[in-house]
Amino acid sequence: MGATAAHVRVAFLLLPALALSAAAIDFDRARKFWSFQPIKDHPAPAVRNSKWVESSIDAFLLEKLESRGLAPAPPADRRTLIRRVTFDLTGLPPTPGDVAAFLADSSPKAFETVVERLLASPHYGERWGRHWLDLVRYAETDGHEFDVDKPNAWRYRDYVIRAFNNDVPYNRFVIEQLAGDLLPKDRVTGDIEEPTIATGFYWLGEVINTPVDTFQAIADRTDNQVDVIGKSLLGLTVACARCHDHKFDPIPTSDYYALAGFLESSRLRQAAVDSPARAVEIRGALAHLEGHPRAAGAPPVKDPSYEVFEGFDGVDFSTWTSTGLAFGSGPVSGIADSGRYSNNGQGILISKQFQIKKRYIHVRMAGGATVKLIADEYTNAGRILTGGDQFAWKTIDARMGVGNVGYLAIEDLDREQSVAVDQICFSDQKAPPPDRGENGIAPPPVPGATAPPSTFAMAATESLPKDAPIHIRGNHKTHGPAVPRRFLTVIGGENQPPISTGSGRLELARRITDTSNPLLARVIVNRVWKHHFGRGIVETVDNFGLTGEPPSHRELLDHLAYQFMAGGWSIKKLHRRMLLSSAYRMSSRPGGAADAADPLNKLLHRMPIRRLEAEAIRDSLLAVAGDLDRTLYGPSVPPYVSAFMDGRGKPKSGPIDGAGRRSIYIQVRRNYLTDMFLTFDYPLPITTIGRRGASTVPSQALWMMNSELIALQAERWACRVLDAVPAPEARVARLYEEAFGRSVLPEETREILAMASSLTARYGGEARAWADVCQVLMNTTEFIFIR
Amino acid sequence: MSFTRRELLCRGANGIGGLAIAAMAATSEHDRVLHPLAVQPTHHRARAKSVIFLYMDGGPSQVDTFDPKPRLAREHGKPLQIPMPPTQFNDNGNVMQSYWNFRKHGECGADVSELFPHVATCVDDLAIVRSMVADNSEHTAANYLMHTGFSMQGRPSMGSWVTYGLGSESQSLPGFVVLDSGLIPPGGMDNFGSGFLPAAYQGTLLRRGAKPIANVEPREASPEIQQEKLALLSRLNRGVLDRLGSVTELDATISNYELAFRMQSAVPGLADISGESKATLELYGIDKPETEAYGRQCLLARRLVERGVRFVEALTPALKGLDRWDQHGNLLEGHTRNAKATDKPVAGLLKDLKARGLLDQTLVVWGGEFGRTPMSQGGVGRDHNPFGFTMWLAGGGAKGGVTHGATDDYGYYAVENKVHVHDLHATILHLLGMDHKRLTFRFSGRDMRLTDVHGEVVRSILS
Repeated sequence: MGATAAHVRVAFLLLPALALSAAAIDFDRARKFWSFQPIKDHPAPAVRNSKWVESSIDAFLLEKLESRGLAPAPPADRRTLIRRVTFDLTGLPPTPGDVAAFLADSSPKAFETVVERLLASPHYGERWGRHWLDLVRYAETDGHEFDVDKPNAWRYRDYVIRAFNNDVPYNRFVIEQLAGDLLPKDRVTGDIEEPTIATGFYWLGEVINTPVDTFQAIADRTDNQVDVIGKSLLGLTVACARCHDHKFDPIPTSDYYALAGFLESSRLRQAAVDSPARAVEIRGALAHLEGHPRAAGAPPVKDPSYEVFEGFDGVDFSTWTSTGLAFGSGPVSGIADSGRYSNNGQGILISKQFQIKKRYIHVRMAGGATVKLIADEYTNAGRILTGGDQFAWKTIDARMGVGNVGYLAIEDLDREQSVAVDQICFSDQKAPPPDRGENGIAPPPVPGATAPPSTFAMAATESLPKDAPIHIRGNHKTHGPAVPRRFLTVIGGENQPPISTGSGRLELARRITDTSNPLLARVIVNRVWKHHFGRGIVETVDNFGLTGEPPSHRELLDHLAYQFMAGGWSIKKLHRRMLLSSAYRMSSRPGGAADAADPLNKLLHRMPIRRLEAEAIRDSLLAVAGDLDRTLYGPSVPPYVSAFMDGRGKPKSGPIDGAGRRSIYIQVRRNYLTDMFLTFDYPLPITTIGRRGASTVPSQALWMMNSELIALQAERWACRVLDAVPAPEARVARLYEEAFGRSVLPEETREILAMASSLTARYGGEARAWADVCQVLMNTTEFIFIR
Repeated sequence: MSFTRRELLCRGANGIGGLAIAAMAATSEHDRVLHPLAVQPTHHRARAKSVIFLYMDGGPSQVDTFDPKPRLAREHGKPLQIPMPPTQFNDNGNVMQSYWNFRKHGECGADVSELFPHVATCVDDLAIVRSMVADNSEHTAANYLMHTGFSMQGRPSMGSWVTYGLGSESQSLPGFVVLDSGLIPPGGMDNFGSGFLPAAYQGTLLRRGAKPIANVEPREASPEIQQEKLALLSRLNRGVLDRLGSVTELDATISNYELAFRMQSAVPGLADISGESKATLELYGIDKPETEAYGRQCLLARRLVERGVRFVEALTPALKGLDRWDQHGNLLEGHTRNAKATDKPVAGLLKDLKARGLLDQTLVVWGGEFGRTPMSQGGVGRDHNPFGFTMWLAGGGAKGGVTHGATDDYGYYAVENKVHVHDLHATILHLLGMDHKRLTFRFSGRDMRLTDVHGEVVRSILS
C-alpha cells in the first residue's frame, strides 16, 4: 500500500511546505488510477451461454465466470425470489397474497410485474431512504452530553423517503443536498418545497454541548461534514487530508480547506419551507390584521454606556433576514413582532453577524417565544431569553462568547406564542438600561379563523462568504494561508473558476454533479449493486481511493454508471436493470462446484445468503404479528428506553412496539439508540457507513429469546392465527406462509404440533403454547436470513 | 462470501495453490465470525490477562488526593500567577488550598491525602502517574477520549479494542463488562460502544438488582419449556440447512444460541455473592451502607476476572445529591463522600486480588477523565482541568511503589514526564501483550487504532 502511495506523490515528507504540497502531487499521473479515469461505456462481452443473458449485466458476469470455466447457479424458485426482491425493495416480507399472485402468474413478465409493483410501493422509499440515511449519519439529536433535540430533523428523513419514491434524478438529489436552499422553490410536495429540506444533510452530525473551545468544535464539525461529503458522494476519504496531505490519494491538505471554505461560509438555521402557494395562503389568512400595532416602541437608549445594536425604527428589517411569515415585511411602531397578526404566526428573524465585544446583551422584549444568541454557531440555555406579558429588559451573559462572532435569532415557531422585540443593546455592565415602563403590550390578536401553520426544517443558509485558512497539522490554532474555495483538484482540475456567488455551494454542487466527475455515478451505482447483490463491485463502498478494493468487474461498473447518467440518473431504472437480470434470479444454494473455485463469491456465481438488517427484522416481527402500522411519514416515535439505556439527556420512553410503526420512524436519539438495533449492527450515526456489519453476538440470541418485544409480537401473532385458523395443521401452514412465504413440510408440521400439544397440556391452554411456537419461528435462521 | 468452514478446511488441506491461501485467510476471518471471543495470540508476552478500570467519573481533584501542593496553602485566596486558559464555567477565582492533609505512606513514601486512608495502605503496589494530560475540558469529550482515544462520539471503547485484540477467556460471559450502580458518565453508552468494531465487542452493562444483564432472564415459566423450544428451534434450523445448504453465518447464528444459553445460566451465578465469606464482604465494605454499592461492584469485578472476562469497568456509584466527582461547588462534602464510598472497596479489591494471586495478572487502573483546577470556582469548588491530573495503575505488570511525572507548583499543568491519555492506552495494551500500533481495524480507508497516530508506552512504570 505504501509503495502504491509512493508513486502517486512524495509530498508527505515536505509537510511544513504546505503551500507547495498541492504542486508536489502529480495530478496527471494520479488521474491514471482507475477510479479517476473518465467513465466510458463498454459493450457487453460475448459469451458462450448467451441464452442466460437477460440483461447486459449478465454478459459481464458470465464472461468472467466462463473464463474460469464456471457456470452461474441455476435460477431460484419463485417463492425464494419474491421473498428476496420484496425485502430488497421494501424491507418487508411478502404477504401470502403477494406470493400466491406471483405463483399464479404464468406470464413471462411475471417477475417484472412484481418488481414494478414493489418499485411503485411507498414502502420502497422507506427501505431505500434508510440506505441513504446510513450515509449521512442521520440522527435527530445532537448527542454529546445532553443529547439535545435537533428540531425538525425528521423532515429530512421524510424528504429522503419522498425523493426515492418519486425517483428524483440522483444528480438533482445531490444538488439539493448541497445547495437546495439556493435553488428555486419549484419542487413542491403538498404544502412544502423540497429542496431546502435537503440541506439538513449538513447538520445531522454530533454537536458538542457547551464547548470550551468553540473553534475546535467548529473545526471538528467541518471535518465531519467534509468526511460525509467525501465518502457519501465521492467514495473518497477527503477528511484524511485535514492534518496532512492524504497519504494515499491525490488530495492535498489545500483541497480539504478549499472544501471547508464552503462550509464555513454557510450555517444552520430553521427555515420555513412553505411552498410558494402555501405562503400566499398563510399571508392571506394573516393579512386582515396587517398594521395593527400591539404596542408603541420605547424611545431609543441614549445612555452612552450602552451600545445600541437595534431599535427596529426603520420601515423594514434592514440587515435582519426573515423566514416564515409571522414578522411580516418590517417592524410595526418600532417593534419586531411575531404577534402582529395573531399568535398563530410562525417565523424567525436573524440578525447580521457581529463581533461580540461586550459581555452583556440586553433585549427589551415581551412574549413567550425566544431570543437567542448564537455565538460561534453555538447556543445553550444561558443564551436563550423568553419574555413575559409586558415589555421588559432581559439580559444574556455572553461571557464565554466575547471576542467571537455571533448573531441573534428572534424565534417564534410556536402556534400559541409570540415574541416582540423593541430594542437591543450591548454593555459591559450587567444592569440593563432603566425601563420606565411607559408601554405595555396588548396580547396577540386571536384570529377568527386559524392561519395555516408554516413548516420548518433544519437547513443550510448563507453566511459571510470566506475562504478557509489551512490549519497547520490540523491544529485550528495555527493558521496557514487561506485556500480559495474549489472542488477537489484531481476531479475539478487545476484551473477552476473562482467562486462567484455567496458561499459557492451551488457552484460546488454543479461541479460535483457534472458528468465529467468520474466518481459520483460510479459510487452510487456501486451502492445500489451492493444492496441487491450483497457485495459491491467495489467492495469498499465508501472508499474508491488507493486503499479501497479494486473493482471486481470494472467494465460492468463503468457500463452501469454510463448508462445511469445517460438514462437521466434514475435510480429506479437502475434497479430494473439489476433486478431483471438472470444474475439476480440465481439460486443462493451453497456447496456447488463454483463455490470451491470462487469461495468468496467475488465472481457472483450464485446469490449470497444475507442476514436482514435490524430494521427489517423488527419490521418483519411487526408485519407477521399483524400489527405493523403502515402509515408513512411524520414526527418520529420516541425510542423505547430500557433499563439498560441510561445517562444524561435520558428521554421519556416511547412504547415498546414503537406504536407499530416501521423502524425508520423510530426517533434516532444519538445517545439512546434502540438497543435491539445496536445488537443487530445498526450503524452509529458518526459518519458515512455504506456497509453495515452482520455480526453474530449472544445478545442477538438473548434478545430473540427473552426480550419483551419478541414476547409481545409472538403473542399477538399467535392470538391472530388462533382466531383465524382453527385447525392446528392448517394453522401451522399459515404461520409458514406468513413468516417464510413457503409451504410447511410434513416433518415440520409434525415437530411443531408435537411441541404445541405438549405445551398446551403443560399450560392448560392453547394461547401461550402457540405464542411459544410463534416465537420459535421468529427465532429461526429462516426468519432473519434471505436466500 | 458464504461457504462452510468445513468445506474450506478440506480445501485448505488439499492445498489447491492460490485458492488454498485465499481460503485459509477466509477461514480465520470466518472463525472470528463463529467465535468472536476466541482467545487470540498476543504480540508479545502479556503481563496482564485482564483489566479492571475503576472509573472516577467527573474528575477527582489531583491536588486533593495524590499530588500535594504546598504552594496552594501559601497563596490561598491570591490570584494565580500562571496563565489560566478558559475553563468549562470560566468563573475562576483565586488559588484554593486543599481541605485535606497529606501524609507519606508505605515503604515508597507516596503522598496520599486523608481522603484515601485504605488505598494509602496499598501504595507499594501502585504506580502513581501525576502527569496525566487529556485534550478536552468538557466531560463528554474527555470521557470519549479516555474511553475511546477520540474526543468525538462513536469510536470503539478501550474494552472493545482489548476484547477484539485478545478475545476473552470466558465463553459464557461477555468479554467487556461495565458495572453500574446507576450513574452512566456523560456521553452515555457510547463510552462503552464497539464503534466500528463488530458488535460482539461492545461493553455489556451489568446493573444492580434482579436483572443484571439485558434479556438474560428467560421468560419461560420453567427451564424445561425453554429447552423444549430451543430443541424445536434447532431441529427446524437443521432441517432447512440440510435441505438448502449452510454457510458460516448460518452456522454461527445457530451456535450463538448455545452461547446465549450458557450466558443465561452463568450470569445468575456470577451475581450471587452469597457464597463469599463474611471476611471478604467486610474487606470490600459490603457490610456498611456507605461502601456497599462500590464494594459490590469491586467484588463483582474480581469475580468477573476470575471467570476470565477480559475487561471490566466499575463506574462511580451514584450518591444522593452528588454529581459524581464533579465538584464545581462544595468540594469538601463531595470529595469526602465520594472517597468514603470508594476508598475501602478499592483497597479491598487490591488486597483481595493480591491474596488470591490474581493481582499479578490483573491490571487495575484508577482515575477520571481529567483533574481539577488549583484555583477555586465560587470559593468552594474547582473547575475541570485536563492539563495535569493523577491516575494510578496496579498489578498486571505495573511497577508498585513508583510515582511518575509531576505537575507545576500549583498542580495545574503537567510539566515533567507527561503521560497523555494515548500513552496510557498504549501502556495498557502493552501490558496485555499488544503493540498499540499493530492493534488495528480497517475503517474509513485507514487502519484505525485506539491510539490514533499517537501513544508511547510509559516504560518507567512497568515492573
